[in-house]
Amino acid sequence: MNKTSKVEFTVELIRIITAVAIAYAIALITLFAVSDDPVYIIKQFILGPFSSIRRVGSIINLAIPFTFTGLCFCFMYAVNKFNLSGEGIFMFSGCVISLVAIKLGSTFPAPLNIVLLFAVGALTGAVVSLLPAWMDSKFNANIVVSSLMLNSILMFFSIYILKYMMRDTTIGSLGSLPIPTNAKLPSVFGKFRVHAGIFIAILAVVLVAILFYKMIFGYKMRVVGSNPWFAKACGINMTGTIIAAQLIGGALAGVGGTCEILGNYDRFNWVSSTQHGFDGLMVAVLARKNPLLVPVAAFLLAYIRIGADVVNSKGDIPIEFITVIQGIVILMVAAEEFMGRFKKNLIYKAAREELAEKEKAEGKN
Amino acid sequence: MLTLEWLGNFCFSVLRLSTPLIYAGLAAVISKKAGMMNMALEGMMLCAALGGVIFAGLSGNVWIGLIGAVIVGVLVGGVIAFSSLSGKTDLYLTCIAVNLAASGGTVFVMYLITGEKATTSAAIKAYTLPSVAIPLINKIPFFGPMLSGHNILTYIAFFSIFAVWFFLTKTRLGLRLRAVGENPTAAASVGISVMKIGYISFLISGVLCGLAGAFMSMGWVSFFMKGMVNGRGYIGLSASNIANGNPIGAGITAIFFGLCDASATALKSQTSFPTEFLEMIPYAATMVALVVFGFIRNSRLHKIEKGK
Repeated sequence: MNKTSKVEFTVELIRIITAVAIAYAIALITLFAVSDDPVYIIKQFILGPFSSIRRVGSIINLAIPFTFTGLCFCFMYAVNKFNLSGEGIFMFSGCVISLVAIKLGSTFPAPLNIVLLFAVGALTGAVVSLLPAWMDSKFNANIVVSSLMLNSILMFFSIYILKYMMRDTTIGSLGSLPIPTNAKLPSVFGKFRVHAGIFIAILAVVLVAILFYKMIFGYKMRVVGSNPWFAKACGINMTGTIIAAQLIGGALAGVGGTCEILGNYDRFNWVSSTQHGFDGLMVAVLARKNPLLVPVAAFLLAYIRIGADVVNSKGDIPIEFITVIQGIVILMVAAEEFMGRFKKNLIYKAAREELAEKEKAEGKN
Repeated sequence: MLTLEWLGNFCFSVLRLSTPLIYAGLAAVISKKAGMMNMALEGMMLCAALGGVIFAGLSGNVWIGLIGAVIVGVLVGGVIAFSSLSGKTDLYLTCIAVNLAASGGTVFVMYLITGEKATTSAAIKAYTLPSVAIPLINKIPFFGPMLSGHNILTYIAFFSIFAVWFFLTKTRLGLRLRAVGENPTAAASVGISVMKIGYISFLISGVLCGLAGAFMSMGWVSFFMKGMVNGRGYIGLSASNIANGNPIGAGITAIFFGLCDASATALKSQTSFPTEFLEMIPYAATMVALVVFGFIRNSRLHKIEKGK
């Protein structure tokens, strides 16, 4: 690592920590300003998520889908394609695997059934994300627009499947037939009640990290994303790499949706988009598209969410205020000018030092 | 069911439902022509809808509510412009952040002011902008019920289609805005401030979204409701994309989407037809349009390459 990239890394880290700290401070000030009993509420917000074993478990359970969608957006980001279909895929694959699980019933024993469902979920995600990727590469269609439109289509399609193909008419609210027990992910770690999806998430993080940093495909992908002209000049298959990366991203979002349904739900009852995709986008932004940092960012987001949840149930503050905080974090982390001058100054300084050293060395010779 | 009166009323509801879509579509057109994609229409409309209700409730005057909605829309537009143009944040990320913050922030503000989390209907006195009956026309069968008696913002929406068209094609600022959108470097080289034009485009977008929001909370219904914009911002974005940034085309597309919306509503109450597919139409149509445009562009490029 030369000096410039060292400076960049340090500044990046400081920037992200500052952004999160500022947003957190804003959250605390807001809580302080609007609550009748601010000290109690703030204590709940900071310490509440760790106050019981059950809550720590729910932080982890919440971090699992964020990890998957975060990894999904790492891939989209890596090839510089703003494919937002992760949002729709999460809901749609959850819906598809519920349908498959209900139709299969108890045909297969539990482990085989679960593996099969995960394969279906991943495949659904890959196939769906292929559409915007193909439209982008073939017709140069704006991928943001097409994937956003696709998200809405997937949402309505999921509701259609829920209403007309697997609705349980015996319950009052809109929900599918119960998901058979042989499809459910067991819960592990006893009292924490974390579902087994955590192992799949860890496995996914490790595999994606290997793919990113130890395999040729990962290198190609990063080159294509960071410098397309160089990639073209090197003879890297641009279209193939870009589409493959998006397919893997889509598959990961699909696995995320599968995991969420099989781990936490008795029946499929999502009637609107779950926002997990956009949360994943934030996770990927925070993690600076580094898959190894994704779980950390996912955990952070889940911690803040559960904190808001505790405040919501204990006090007089609605949980929604947290999305404002989330928005502020995204804006500050993504803003290049935020602490930009600081970064430039540091880089200039490092460059000057390097030059001075060189001159010294030349002077000696 | 299919009487002339029913048809008149149906067309009335088509025009009514297309009003917010027209505003959103025009707002998207302005941004698109300035070379940017404004995904945050949704959040801007939501904030404006709440702002309108609050201003109207506090002042007791519906017109101050309308001005308040527009001001809120412009403010949100200003925030987006500031962070993406001055702060150099990725525009897509800015818009996603604004949408996210708006969806929760409106609920939060509503809770602080009224103590409710779902709607303001109980806590804030309801105000609606007046409806206008057009003399003479309202006597004609079919056209009377269809064209007369709309909210004033509906008429302004149709007027704005032409206003935006006039602005973009006939004024100096509109020409500059399009120049920046086509080629910012070339525009800058002849002395146009790209940054200033960018700000202006977002502020105009904000005005239009403000009107859309005001229509949602002070015309369509008379209160603010959590998540009431419900994807209309995205539909407006698709209208602009299908029309390829032409304001008149965007207006016509928005009316077509309003027709889909009205048919879905009508069918939902009468049959068990899966209306989900009708609700998909705006989105699916946009995807098809994107492919068609891409195909035309590709074949044109192909011809040029062949040298014919």
